[in-house]
Amino acid sequence: MAPNKAPNLAGETTGSVPEAEADDVELTQLIAACAARNAQALRQLYDRTAPQLLACMVRILKRKALAEEALQDVFVSIWQRAGQFEARRGRPRAWLMSIARYRAIDVLRAERAELYREAEIEQLPQLVTEGANDWSGAGRSAAALARCFDMLSADQRRGIELAFVDGASHADIARATHQPLGTVKSWIRRGLASLRQCLER
Amino acid sequence: MKHDDPKLIDSLAAEYVLGTLAGRARRRFERWRASEWHVERRVQAWEERLVGLALRLTPMRPSPHVWDQIEKRIGRTAAPGSGPTHSTLHGGHRISTLRALAASIAIFVVIVGGVMAWRATHPALLALATITNPNAIAPAWELRADADFRQIRAVARGGARPQAGKSFELWALPDSGGAPVSLGLMPDSGELTRTLTEAQRNALLGASKVAVSLEPTGGSRTGAPTGPVLFVAERARRA
Repeated sequence: MAPNKAPNLAGETTGSVPEAEADDVELTQLIAACAARNAQALRQLYDRTAPQLLACMVRILKRKALAEEALQDVFVSIWQRAGQFEARRGRPRAWLMSIARYRAIDVLRAERAELYREAEIEQLPQLVTEGANDWSGAGRSAAALARCFDMLSADQRRGIELAFVDGASHADIARATHQPLGTVKSWIRRGLASLRQCLER
Repeated sequence: MKHDDPKLIDSLAAEYVLGTLAGRARRRFERWRASEWHVERRVQAWEERLVGLALRLTPMRPSPHVWDQIEKRIGRTAAPGSGPTHSTLHGGHRISTLRALAASIAIFVVIVGGVMAWRATHPALLALATITNPNAIAPAWELRADADFRQIRAVARGGARPQAGKSFELWALPDSGGAPVSLGLMPDSGELTRTLTEAQRNALLGASKVAVSLEPTGGSRTGAPTGPVLFVAERARRA
């Protein structure tokens, strides 16, 4: 097994938010129980995380029925891949959310023509507005992310948010911001680089 | 991909996590990530950096049927609100070596309900399992079997890439925890129908999972999986 001495992520080394840690520990235990084929554990994991994962998937896929279908895939996948989580020793919500986001992005890219034809706009989950509790679900590194995100230019913030939260492609972002594709690509790349630099301080 | 430039790896990982790495580059990166631990670590770091953006969305309750479907697909039931006992929470030790091997590779499984998947062209064979890699758009294979598991058919769907000098071999994973039993080779393309021996049939009847491993051409010479387990799929339960 490769060494697990991960470089410390910014914001993870200082401060302590006990609720976030307890949440990590409990979710990690539930994932381990899923690896041991405990279906009750999967149910608990579902109760605790599915609403959050679904919100992210609906935001990307724009239709609840399609997102719910993909959410099934996500939990079947979590059930099958639970054994992989232990080796990576990461934060469970990041792992779960990533499985959900990648699945939604794959479905979106495979079906996007159809999505745009149907143009059925539903009530989409919203980002909670600015405020002290906005980032609470994100745990220990949340404050650091909020601070660093604020340091980006408005265009960079918009672009990164469109991509991460809405599953927008470079071309979608270029359309939404009325910027040439090359410009969009470069400010996203620079935005990510500054975000990383800021988070590692 | 042979690049070893940490900056390049990191910027690819960032765009992969963000979702803007698309198309073939995305697929290529997914394979790279699955095979190289240092690439995976970069991905994980970005996932953990950015996850907070998505956690700010207002949660949305799934419809009740979603969990019912998940239960069907994993072949287990679990009542809401009833938690695992302490002993089962820590009972992960019996995971077989095979499953641990499988765990090193991204696995994604679609279980197909038996009755639903009647095919007009093969009326005698019912769907048994769909074997899928999460990183591929197409499934790898569809497996079918007749009602009493005397005959199985594997249909290649393009989601598994044939490798020179290697064969894909199918295994039944007995629920008893016993050694995997070979069910023969999988086709690289097209389909393959095979009559099972009595031993293979019994193994399949006693297995709720099947696996596919990568073996030397012609299959494992030892009677047990020797290469990496690339796929594990839950077999559909027959009413």
